[in-house]
Amino acid sequence: MTVEKKTIQRPKTPGRGPLVTVLISTYNRPAYLAEALDSIFRQTWPNFEIILTRDGGLPVRDVVSRFNDSRLTFLDRDQNRGLPYSFNEALARAKGDYVCYLGDDDKFFPHHIETLLRAISQNPDYGVVYGDLYKAHCRVLPDGRRRVLAKNVEISRDFDRMLMFQFNHALHVSLMHRRDLLDKAGRYNESLNVLIDWDLTRRLCFFTDFLHVPIVTGEYYAPVGDCDRISVQRRKNVNDYIRNLLTIRTTRPPKPWPCVQDSAIIVLASRLDGALEQMLRDIWSHSFYPYRLFVPLTAQERQRFQSCVPNLVPVEVRPEDSLPVRLNKMLQQVDAEWTVFLPVGIRIPPDEAIYIERSLYPLLCGHQTNLACQIVESDDTYFGAAISTDTLRKAIARHPALDPHQALMAAGIPIRKPEFKEYPFQFDNLLSGADMCQLDGQWTRAARVYDYMAEHHGNAVWMRTRQANAELQAGHYAHAARTIAEVNRIRPTVASLMIQARAEKKNKRPLVAAGLYRQAAGILDGQSTGYLPAAADILIPQTQSNTSSVQPVETCVWT
Amino acid sequence: MDLTRQTAVPDHGWTQHYDIVQEMGDCYATVGDYVQAQDCYERAAMLAPDEAGPYLGTGVIALQQGKLADAEIAFRVALRLDARCSKALAGLAMISQQQKNWQSAFDLYLKSLELDGDNLTALLGLFQVSCQMGSFARVIEYLNTYLNLHPADTAVMFCLATLYLKERQPDKARRILKDIVALEPDNTDAKNLLEEAENRISIPA
Repeated sequence: MTVEKKTIQRPKTPGRGPLVTVLISTYNRPAYLAEALDSIFRQTWPNFEIILTRDGGLPVRDVVSRFNDSRLTFLDRDQNRGLPYSFNEALARAKGDYVCYLGDDDKFFPHHIETLLRAISQNPDYGVVYGDLYKAHCRVLPDGRRRVLAKNVEISRDFDRMLMFQFNHALHVSLMHRRDLLDKAGRYNESLNVLIDWDLTRRLCFFTDFLHVPIVTGEYYAPVGDCDRISVQRRKNVNDYIRNLLTIRTTRPPKPWPCVQDSAIIVLASRLDGALEQMLRDIWSHSFYPYRLFVPLTAQERQRFQSCVPNLVPVEVRPEDSLPVRLNKMLQQVDAEWTVFLPVGIRIPPDEAIYIERSLYPLLCGHQTNLACQIVESDDTYFGAAISTDTLRKAIARHPALDPHQALMAAGIPIRKPEFKEYPFQFDNLLSGADMCQLDGQWTRAARVYDYMAEHHGNAVWMRTRQANAELQAGHYAHAARTIAEVNRIRPTVASLMIQARAEKKNKRPLVAAGLYRQAAGILDGQSTGYLPAAADILIPQTQSNTSSVQPVETCVWT
Repeated sequence: MDLTRQTAVPDHGWTQHYDIVQEMGDCYATVGDYVQAQDCYERAAMLAPDEAGPYLGTGVIALQQGKLADAEIAFRVALRLDARCSKALAGLAMISQQQKNWQSAFDLYLKSLELDGDNLTALLGLFQVSCQMGSFARVIEYLNTYLNLHPADTAVMFCLATLYLKERQPDKARRILKDIVALEPDNTDAKNLLEEAENRISIPA
């Protein structure tokens, strides 16, 4: 399919161009809801519909009636059913080609919808696009007004699928996605009460790449001190939080997955005992890449086997079956591209956040089908590895009597442990290194790391901002001013303007510095957003063709 | 007076708004735009009512405009908010100095330096007051401490050399002045004082 390149032209009236559905659920925040709704009605893109759900709590009809606009649908419900239920209820009525979300106390900047829509239109291989947001720290005054103390872009991270499996770096309010993707990924999981946005973004990333546009298109509020946000309150219940976390990490949307290759974890066990059960729990708590867990059990063991571990596939074996036979029986049921086999007894370090993924990731990145990547903790006694399922099957078929280690060697499959540089999250490792330099006061070195990261690891706007700050702290004022001026030319934020102002002040240019401080204060006061329309051409990438295995998108022509 | 609170990473934390208006006020104060500066300090005080910074800034611009009573009130408020505020003490010392209350100024500068040995305003103020009072021993101690941390600060080195000469220690003065001339070959004041020091060394007391 050839993809026609399009530019998006702002329609003068609703009803032209793609329709965008904005979902808001409100609960006990009537004071801020009006501002949130107002921020949608101020959008430069007029073709949207708003579906507002009152999820119980205080009445808001008075607020809603102020907006006499046919684009607003109000679902007024007395019973509090939670955010996932509310969003699903609204999605059932949504008609938009695209969906985006707004918290009832958050705000879109006027260019939010148009920016994201333009980005997704120019890059039709992507089904999800997200921008950046200000986290507005505020003090709530006795009359309920919010005094803004800071506006920080805390997350401005280019999409990384492996990271998305472990951590949400596309904030809900910053997100816009094709509505039809939910037919594949599923709707909101109503059994969750926290991290529901991550649950959705994680599932979406099985079906599409995400496009990050480093333009600040809105803000969400964080009161200083005890926060009334439901999501923040719920995180205080640690057990419940972990339950949600583990549920999300093990959710497997229906196949086919165009963007994710599945994995199987095969546990090499000769009997069901406490060690096996502990190992299953350890794998569950240590793994974030999608997997199904295969466990050999005899008919008798299966009767008494009870486990809360999800995605578990018990494979029936006979008591007298050897380990190679058990492995073979499990392999027959595997339908994943990659297999990780682990013997009971292999060490799983309690503090290690990345376990099987360290061995799986080099294979996934390089599509290395003729290599067994050993588990880092494995040795000759407890040998475990990640490998292409087909390659493992062939090796086992040729040497059915040998254990997997011997079978792989006999089949001539190269076996090695992954090198540190092949582990996932290299960007985060470098970032931690730079943070350490900063803590040690080695600002010049930190600046060099950020410079390298901007050149080689994406996230250029964020890294250049950090580089400039490190240069400033190191006393390289002229360098800092130059570096951050380049950032501010395309994306001025409160922090980046502040860095430039400090550098200019040190460069003995107090009036220039005062002007920059004034710009930053203007953003904090809400007089401007810092958005530079001309810079959008630079910040919104335009891809000819996406290299990942994303399904092409059917697009409509609009003017 | 540099009132900048150096936030190491400006995209973290929640003092940003305060920091911005406070630092903007300092910029306007530097170029003599006291109206804008005062406006910034008032906004900063509203954003962070417990911070001494805005009152320090207000005190500095009042002092620069010769409004000593206003300056004193502002510095005292700053000191009440932060009892260890070296800059507020230095501000009060400057007021005493302008009122020719040498002993009070001397004591306040000393207190200021005890809290922050790096406070250059207090250090130079102490030097000036000492010259008026003819009491140099404590000042020499503070200047030496400061120079241990900032070994190439020629302005402070020059003050120290001057004091050594006043204390009839021309050898020490000559050593420092030679260092200044090495660092700044065009420093005429240092060259002249070096000549004087060498003359004193060559003429036995």
